[in-house]
Amino acid sequence: MSEFIQLLISGLSAGSIYALAAVGFTLLWQASQTINFAQGEFVMVPAFFVLALSVKLGLPIWLAMPLTVILSVLLLGALFKKLIVEPMHKHGTIPLVIATIALGLLIKEMVKEFYSPLGQPFPSLFPQTVLTVGDAVISVPDIANFVIAMGTIVALQLFLGRTRTGRSMQATAQNPDVAQILGVDIQRMVMYTFLINGALAAIASILITPIYLAKFSNGETLGLVAFIAAIVGGFNQIRGALVGGLLIGVIDNMSATYFSAEYRQALPMILLIVIILVRPQGLLGTSEGRTV
Amino acid sequence: MRIWGAEMLELKDIYGGYGKITILNGTSFSIPRASITTVIGPNGAGKSTVFKAIFGLLNIHSGAILLDGKDVTRKSPKEMIAEGVTYVPQGRNVVPQLSVYHNLELGGITARDQSMVKRRIETVMDQFPMLRQFKDRKAIELSGGQQKQLEVARALLLDPKLILIDEPSIGLSPNLVQEVFRTLQALRDQGVTILMVEQNAKAALAMSDYGLVLELGQTRMHDRADTLLADPKVGHLFLGGHIDEEEEA
Repeated sequence: MSEFIQLLISGLSAGSIYALAAVGFTLLWQASQTINFAQGEFVMVPAFFVLALSVKLGLPIWLAMPLTVILSVLLLGALFKKLIVEPMHKHGTIPLVIATIALGLLIKEMVKEFYSPLGQPFPSLFPQTVLTVGDAVISVPDIANFVIAMGTIVALQLFLGRTRTGRSMQATAQNPDVAQILGVDIQRMVMYTFLINGALAAIASILITPIYLAKFSNGETLGLVAFIAAIVGGFNQIRGALVGGLLIGVIDNMSATYFSAEYRQALPMILLIVIILVRPQGLLGTSEGRTV
Repeated sequence: MRIWGAEMLELKDIYGGYGKITILNGTSFSIPRASITTVIGPNGAGKSTVFKAIFGLLNIHSGAILLDGKDVTRKSPKEMIAEGVTYVPQGRNVVPQLSVYHNLELGGITARDQSMVKRRIETVMDQFPMLRQFKDRKAIELSGGQQKQLEVARALLLDPKLILIDEPSIGLSPNLVQEVFRTLQALRDQGVTILMVEQNAKAALAMSDYGLVLELGQTRMHDRADTLLADPKVGHLFLGGHIDEEEEA
């Protein structure tokens, strides 16, 4: 039982970070029908911003991390929208998808070429200690990661639901024609979505990289997991992406211990196929298509 | 085409359309303030397109649009809202997952004074008690007629002087259509000017003050609604024909 609890908490911790990436994925889709196949690299690269700022430029880590969030918001949010999404969007969804795949490859190769092809140690925000609850030994970073990731998603939900700007973003996502005739600045709302995705990617990167080391190839797994989590949970719901992320985190952890470490990466795929066959709109998704 | 002075809105020789396709071919008309004017015409006549042109959603090639004598040609939707114009397009126009209250609030999203918006929400909920009853319910959970009432109420939030409403009867039962029409008449009585497109021509003209017939992007007839209703050419038009110049002469 104690092993089960440890695995559950560890899975929820990883899953909540996957959920951050998946939520960003769904937000971009809802606001602008952008399917961002570079999302994994968006989560990989902020870790290298932290390393470049702290190791190369010698900034303290407490400064490098918030600067990384700002850099990510600007580069992975604003610049991505202006340089890739806006010019490609008028050509349709497929050219934009191809462009994001190319962008992902470019980011990955640039990190490999200009930083290092080797995994780099990455500082953890939290002490590597454990809590003992009954027979279960629970990692403090796992709990802290879970709290921060969930707190970020709850804060995002509150922003979207409780502020006028958030509700304008929802209106833009759910019914852009109506938003326009009501005088909502649609382009600004879509831009906010991209900025938020940049911030979510940076937070996910800072939380997850201490677990895996900073490596140029981290985005391959993270991007796939974010995509699967978004589909499984429901591509048009933030809470769907959250549930999808948590579910995949837990399944991944449990399957490695109770089933087979060799097949742990196959199980999310099997889940994806089952969901697409049985409930194509996802666990919490709605068939109407575009809703926050 | 000018009738009866004290115009709220005047279109002068408007040419416009989508990309290179021209839909409006010299559309001209004016509508008096505190009145209901119904635009009728066959499919493709440019009825909805006229509304988009007025509200800044269409590429206008030439011509002028005057609101209370002020040139508002090519103003953006946001600027038109600031000028006191609101637009209720055809179909369902609610934000489905937001509450009724927050849908109403969006009607005042451009206002700087949000305390005024809160007061106006209370006022429109007094006008539409159903909305107060369901204010916390998601808009998508309302019936079609209730959603249309919500759209009309939301259009009233900034106390507009002109409402453009496109096909308000689509998808509504006859009773609900009458309810929406009564609401529009009550607004007219309060001084609001209403320009409406409606396929249900007879019912719409029966509750309107004026009517105008559009065909191929041009104003072919413009008169009092009861005069148009009694005109055999209007019946002919809606039986699939068109008004040619000889008939008009």
